[in-house]
Amino acid sequence: MSQETPFIVDLTNCDREPIHIPGSIQPHGVLLALAESDLMIIQVSANTFTFLGRHPRDLIGQSLHTLLDPDQIIDLCDCLSHEYVVDENPLYALTLAFNGIESLFDVIAHRIDGMLILELEPVGQSNQAVALRVYRMVKHAVMACHRTSSLQTFAQALAHSVRMLTAFDRVMVYRFLPDGSGVVIAEETHDNLESYLDLRYPASDIPKQARALYLRNWLRLIPDVTYQPVPLLAISSRHPSIPLNLSYAALRSVSPIHIEYLVNMGVRASMSISLIKDDQLWGLIACHHHSGPHELSYDIRAACEFLGHMVSLQIDDKEAAEDATYTIALQSIQAELVQHMSVANDVVAGLTRFTPNLLQFIAVGGVAVCMEGQCVRLGATPPEPVIVELIDWLSQKTDDNTFWTDSLPQHYPAMVPFTAIASGLLAVRLSRARSNYVLWFRPEVIQAVNWGGNPEKPVTVAEGGVRLSPRTSFAVWKESVMMTSLPWRSCEIAAARDLRRAIIDLVMAKVEELARLNEELTRSNIELDSFAYVASHDLKEPLRGLHNYAHFLIEDYGDLLDDAGKDKLATLVRLTQRMESLIDSLLHYSRVGRAEMTWVEVDLNAVLVDVVNLLEPRLRESSAEIRIARPLPHVRADQTRVREVFSNLITNAIKYNDTPQKWVEISYTPVTSAEGTLSYVFSVRDNGIGVPEEHQETIFRIFKRLHGRDEYGGGVGAGLTITKKIVERHGGAIWLTAQPGGGTTFWFTLDRVDADLQAFGRSTPKVGVDTRATP
Amino acid sequence: MSPQHILLIEDSDEDVAATVRGMRREDLDIVLNRCKTGDQALDYLYQRGRYAETIMAPRPHLILLDLNLPGTDGRSLLAVIKDDEDLKSIPVIVLTTSNNPQDIAACYRRGANSYQIKPVDYARFKQSLQTMISYWFQTVTLPDAAD
Repeated sequence: MSQETPFIVDLTNCDREPIHIPGSIQPHGVLLALAESDLMIIQVSANTFTFLGRHPRDLIGQSLHTLLDPDQIIDLCDCLSHEYVVDENPLYALTLAFNGIESLFDVIAHRIDGMLILELEPVGQSNQAVALRVYRMVKHAVMACHRTSSLQTFAQALAHSVRMLTAFDRVMVYRFLPDGSGVVIAEETHDNLESYLDLRYPASDIPKQARALYLRNWLRLIPDVTYQPVPLLAISSRHPSIPLNLSYAALRSVSPIHIEYLVNMGVRASMSISLIKDDQLWGLIACHHHSGPHELSYDIRAACEFLGHMVSLQIDDKEAAEDATYTIALQSIQAELVQHMSVANDVVAGLTRFTPNLLQFIAVGGVAVCMEGQCVRLGATPPEPVIVELIDWLSQKTDDNTFWTDSLPQHYPAMVPFTAIASGLLAVRLSRARSNYVLWFRPEVIQAVNWGGNPEKPVTVAEGGVRLSPRTSFAVWKESVMMTSLPWRSCEIAAARDLRRAIIDLVMAKVEELARLNEELTRSNIELDSFAYVASHDLKEPLRGLHNYAHFLIEDYGDLLDDAGKDKLATLVRLTQRMESLIDSLLHYSRVGRAEMTWVEVDLNAVLVDVVNLLEPRLRESSAEIRIARPLPHVRADQTRVREVFSNLITNAIKYNDTPQKWVEISYTPVTSAEGTLSYVFSVRDNGIGVPEEHQETIFRIFKRLHGRDEYGGGVGAGLTITKKIVERHGGAIWLTAQPGGGTTFWFTLDRVDADLQAFGRSTPKVGVDTRATP
Repeated sequence: MSPQHILLIEDSDEDVAATVRGMRREDLDIVLNRCKTGDQALDYLYQRGRYAETIMAPRPHLILLDLNLPGTDGRSLLAVIKDDEDLKSIPVIVLTTSNNPQDIAACYRRGANSYQIKPVDYARFKQSLQTMISYWFQTVTLPDAAD
């Protein structure tokens, strides 16, 4: 009575096909299922006559004694009593000659569901010489694999060893990927076979329950895919052992789907050895024979299985070694990056301007470092505005400091146009409050998947309806895996985290340094303040004494002095006055630099009316004309200081002008700074004497005059220095250009009223570095 | 015409000489008493120490106060005077080199009646002193200083 199950398999249900209870075996051996208590034969394969010369009907219901003599039974029971013959673990028991049969059989035994299963396979040429050769080959293979330093060379050595051992036409090392698909990572073949190296196979090629069986059976052999299955016959059709669980039986018949798959691949015989890491199916050593059936003795199979066990233990090491090499490289580059950052005293510059730079760190296509509104990109990255928006999205999406994905466009559709360069993203946040990020971009990997044939199994229409069958073509079938990058390795994520920590440490150190500098600056400002006060009072007091006494001399003793003597005293008086002006200018300058700014919206038209009124007598005297091209805008500024700027510049324009028709023209242009701040550039243009180019910088130095003390109305030479200080305290810049036809144009910038409030941040005493650079 | 008493609190002899010279008037009988330090001025105002005899320290009609003084400086002295119920009615004119806006504001806040900056230029200094004298002794009326 056949136990062929009525289950009709097609590809819609092949995930559910009960392949562990096929009710049949492959024909290269005999299977006996016994009740262990009395060794009664409950089930046998239908091919007993071929191997043992006994019909199944003569065996079913009989004791095993019918096949073996009492000594053999004792030997067998002795073997089975060993502790290592346990449930669900088939082991070679012994080699026996059966009653009336000349040839010997290997007996492989295991227990399952309360049954004792014996699989008998005829022994080939088993002798000690063969065993020794196999032992040497396995030892050599284990050593060869052990010596390799990368996963790739390891897999190659493994494929080579297994092919030497088994003489299969093709031996592949096949590795499972996280999605269940697999890729051929190493291959040894006959010269004339088409290579399957690097090809990927879909997860459905090895269904879930097949993978479960690979986890249980370390080795699976199909000597001839064209075999006729041999049914199992049982003592009774209702015996509880039916259907017999053949999960661990080496002779277990193969799923017709799998056979069809192998046939379509042109495979005549196949073997697989499981590679298991951490109780997970890591991969397979897949062996194919194309030229005909391929039988392997139990010795060789056991050797292969042993090899599988041994190399499985090495996988962890090889993967770790491969990560370790990469990790060491990453660490050494990170050390250099950290050094660059501290030498440059700048995170962005340190990561991007030297060699190696951030692009040479984790293997990526592009990087971006975004700090304090600055965004420096290297390699292939999306444009800056897209990155700025991405950072917005990131900071809202997660509170974690590290984020990574190999399919960014699927999470963040705005990135779809940049799929080619930014399918993968690894991002670390440098500060919680600010949009300071380091971003790594990985390109899409369309080219990476070469499927072994179209992974969508084609529909074949058979009589009576639709039936699916495994694909028949295994020619390379390239699939565009859209919007996906290579995955981020754990050592890469760890390296990104390490770099983040290093940057934060550096920034913290910098902040501390800044705090120290600020404190020092505050102290030196206070010192300057008291110096200015000392200059004001303590220097002026003796100066006033000198002045007064010179004066008293003239008043009281003028009669006793001749004109030359009176002249000299007059000079003394004049010099004391000049010294007073110098001291006053110095005081004014230091006060402009120190005093709190009063930020208000200033109407420059009103300011200019004030200035013109103030200068009115002087303007009339020099008959100078003030030209204002168009109404001036409003700015955010300190009104008193801005008035001083215009007053100083207009005064200078009139003062250093010897043309009869003097004029001063005031104008402006709106501009946007590199940081996006909206500001104005003002110009004060004159038709005066001009400033030689070599003096255009020095003219801003305090007490620097270009002319004789009494030329052009004299002066101490502090006006432009103070003007420059005022403009700088407004966060602006001042410079001058020469007019082609003579004359000078002074240019300076002031922020617009609607420029953001960052101007307020500048009201504190001038600090060389921005204290906002905190994490 | 009874004399007008002015207490000049000033440590610099040269400034005292210039002040005395600049204040000279034909039309007024001005008696200038000078203290070199803040502590000396306190002794004067409270008629103690070397000023224990009232005759030695007549109550001034006007106080001219320099800010930078040895010991108790002008700012503290101003505070003491203006916190004293009896002394606070005496006008205090701060006469100093400092044109520091903070000093100016602080002195007025503390109750100074005027703040005059001593210019280096003698002519201007003299002019400002003369204006002050005319104002305090001829334009306005002061509380009766003579007991």
